[in-house]
Amino acid sequence: MSVAKVTKDNNKSEPVAYSDAALRNNAVVVEYCRTSMAALSGSTAGVLGLTGLYGFAFYVFAVVSLWVMFMVKTGPNWNKYYVSRQSLLTNGFFGALFTYVLFWTFIYGMVHVY
Amino acid sequence: MAELLLDPKIRLWVFLPIVIITFLVGIVRHYVSIILSSQKKIELLQVQDSQVMIRARLLRENGKYIPRQSFAMRRHWFNNEETGYFKVQKRAAASQNPMTDPGMMTDMLKGNVTNVLPMIVIGGWINWMFSGFLTTKVPFPLTLRFKPMLQRGVELAYLDASWVSSASWYFLNVFGLRTIYALVLGENNAADQSKIMQEQMSGAAMAMPQDPKAAFKAEWEALEITEHRWAVANAEIDVLSILDDHQHEPQQ
Repeated sequence: MSVAKVTKDNNKSEPVAYSDAALRNNAVVVEYCRTSMAALSGSTAGVLGLTGLYGFAFYVFAVVSLWVMFMVKTGPNWNKYYVSRQSLLTNGFFGALFTYVLFWTFIYGMVHVY
Repeated sequence: MAELLLDPKIRLWVFLPIVIITFLVGIVRHYVSIILSSQKKIELLQVQDSQVMIRARLLRENGKYIPRQSFAMRRHWFNNEETGYFKVQKRAAASQNPMTDPGMMTDMLKGNVTNVLPMIVIGGWINWMFSGFLTTKVPFPLTLRFKPMLQRGVELAYLDASWVSSASWYFLNVFGLRTIYALVLGENNAADQSKIMQEQMSGAAMAMPQDPKAAFKAEWEALEITEHRWAVANAEIDVLSILDDHQHEPQQ
């Protein structure tokens, strides 16, 4: 199943076909990056000893900076690779949050609790 | 930092081992299930059925691009009362009881051996070996509702809710390491316990083999009521009008 997208820049609406396999591959790669980001930033937050809202703010910062990195990597023609920029930012937010909290708690416990 | 002082030996001998054990058990489970998994045998008849279904669906959806006679010919091959494929092929109704199929029984047993058994054994062992420790403190405040979740095995009414007991730390790891397994072992790995638990809850409906007889009947009906509307009937006129446009354009 291919996803059709309608560009709005001129009067003729021109459907753009996306390859489903390529989209799925991109999603898998993004998911790997997101997991790594969650683990690394969780460990960072644990080492730094962030508590409470600072830790969650750090997570949001990490998610946004990962997104910015994607945008820098893809360059101006991001819609060659992804259907939507917004969903790239928001997809998997809570799934990665769980990983982040686990690593945060783990490293925080290792470093600061005892 | 903490208002409660924990012995650093707990960190070395309880906190860290639980993480490592949980992670390694997941890896081992992945490889054991690879060893035990049997290749699903595919029946030739099943493949044939599914291919026929795909062809019938394609005919329904894209039949408008072929001439009426071609469409009627293909539909005749599927739907004719005497010789149509959907009428001639008699499939036995799928057996409703998975217990009668020995292969499926073995698969279920293997699934239980690799998934449920380690969970009970390792979970019980962790509970027995590391019972009664406070291992760590989550770095954010929590409400009292989290106490039964995070402090299993340590029933202290006045303890702050953000302390985590050893048994709960194990469960947090079981669910939290899921994405790490996806990173280490690749997608669709067998280490993922929570996914398997979801499947066990909703799996009864999905595991039922599809009934080819009912599917054939449904496809026959759908094909029977399909109306042929030739999409390229006006092709010549369209092409000519486009050519006309192009001829007129330079003059404007």
